[in-house]
Amino acid sequence: MAIKIKKIEKGDGLTLWEKSYLPEIIRGLGITLSHFATNMKSLVDEFALGKGRDSRTIMTLYYPEEQPVIPPAYRGRPVLVSDKNGVEKCVACGLCEAACPPACIHILGGERDNGDRFPRSYVLDGSRCIFCGLCEEACPKEAIVMSDEWRNLCQYDRTKMIYEKETLLRSEAQVQKRLDFIRSNSFSRDRY
Amino acid sequence: MNSMTGDLLETVVKIAFVIGLNLGFFAPMLGWVERKQSAVMQDRIGANRAGVFGFTFIGLLHSAADAIKLIFKEDFIPRGADRMMHTLAPVIAVVPALAAFAVIPFGGKFELAGHNVNLVIADLDVGLLFVFAIASIATYGAVIAGWASNNNWSMLGGLRSAAQMFSYEVTMGLTIIGLVMYYQSLSLVVIAEKQVDFWHWGIIYQWPAFILFLTCAIAENKRIPFDVPEAESELVAGYFTEYSGMKFIMFWTAEFIEVVTISALCVTMFFGAYHLPFISPDMLVSIFGGGDFGAIVAMLIGIGVFVAKICALIFLQMAIRWTLPRFRYDQVMALGWKIILPASLIWIFLTGLAILLGLMPTV
Repeated sequence: MAIKIKKIEKGDGLTLWEKSYLPEIIRGLGITLSHFATNMKSLVDEFALGKGRDSRTIMTLYYPEEQPVIPPAYRGRPVLVSDKNGVEKCVACGLCEAACPPACIHILGGERDNGDRFPRSYVLDGSRCIFCGLCEEACPKEAIVMSDEWRNLCQYDRTKMIYEKETLLRSEAQVQKRLDFIRSNSFSRDRY
Repeated sequence: MNSMTGDLLETVVKIAFVIGLNLGFFAPMLGWVERKQSAVMQDRIGANRAGVFGFTFIGLLHSAADAIKLIFKEDFIPRGADRMMHTLAPVIAVVPALAAFAVIPFGGKFELAGHNVNLVIADLDVGLLFVFAIASIATYGAVIAGWASNNNWSMLGGLRSAAQMFSYEVTMGLTIIGLVMYYQSLSLVVIAEKQVDFWHWGIIYQWPAFILFLTCAIAENKRIPFDVPEAESELVAGYFTEYSGMKFIMFWTAEFIEVVTISALCVTMFFGAYHLPFISPDMLVSIFGGGDFGAIVAMLIGIGVFVAKICALIFLQMAIRWTLPRFRYDQVMALGWKIILPASLIWIFLTGLAILLGLMPTV
């Protein structure tokens, strides 16, 4: 059976007004110049009249002078959390080591005089870490969390990217936002 | 001081003023304006890093930083290039842009201490013809640069600029015939003087000529939306692909000075030159007490008005440049030959008819 073919003409979809180009140029100039006027006004408000940052219509930050607040969901460098005495909470159970997909965590466990287990050495190879956060999820002690640190993650020398226990230790106050976040309902294991 | 020494001194001062205004003020400022205006139009911040002791002056120092950087860059001439032509091309591009300013009046005529001061470097009867003649020399800068670089992209850019600039030169000459008929003169000084009365400003009767002329002038200057000769997405940088260091900056400067020249021409022909609306220079002189003091104040006001009008038109040109996308090459040629050329011929006819019927009284 032959199909009944319907021919459809595809034009450029422009009206004569748009094809004449000049009115469209003026319309385009109107758009860009209205942006110019709005942004100029906000810049004058901020820098000449001192109305503060909120009046700015340009979204970009003046980077080194202005820096964004890192949200708690951000997964930066994994760090070890210390307790009130400044001693790491880690008990060297090895769950993070087992959970780590690129195998960047190396733990050597030991035992204190009172029988508590602790990591004699805790090496995290930052050059292999993929910032997945599985170590944080696996940890039963909230001893390793993803911090908001993003500086110096890249180095020219790979040996500088291998972090020891001492360099990874952070107090609870330093990672409090992340601790609150992982205890909250919005942090769900199912979401990973 | 005899008359000849006075004339010589006057001319030297005027040339120094015009060159200083162009190379010392407009060329570096336009680098800043282009960056910052485009940034603000596109909701960005724009260049603001160059600074001295932490003071950045809203990015103004970037022009100085550019100049310092480019002076110390290697002056590269590709193997197989015509060394002499390669060096000559930027000079040919930049000199006509400056030379066209010789016939543009920038402040009117005044009598200072018994000496007649006419604020134009060369009061030519055929000022407009001189501008067009000089502008066509600028074409050779781009063409020679493209040919002498021994580079395919440069060659294509040179060919394109040759075709585009020659086509638009023809059209640009025709677009202002109507204006010349209206003012009955080819001298820019006379045209400027005839615009003392606000109702004789060119824009009022000759606004179609302004649109056509501005379009042609931007095409002649090879700026977006007509920048097919340097189309960076197709031809790297077109005819100046192989230029670096100060030669590159000379092409850059030539482009900026042409922006200023186009603005100055438009101001002189369409926007009342150095006149304030409804206030003639003679009135200004008498307002400020007459005599030498009044003349000097009126002169400075005239120059200031002229520069301010140029700045406004530069703003318009920059806004056009940062609003429109680039035309395809065949569209550029079609626009020039099939639309603007007939349109300017029609406008010549209409102007002639209007003058004949007395609808548009000549000045």
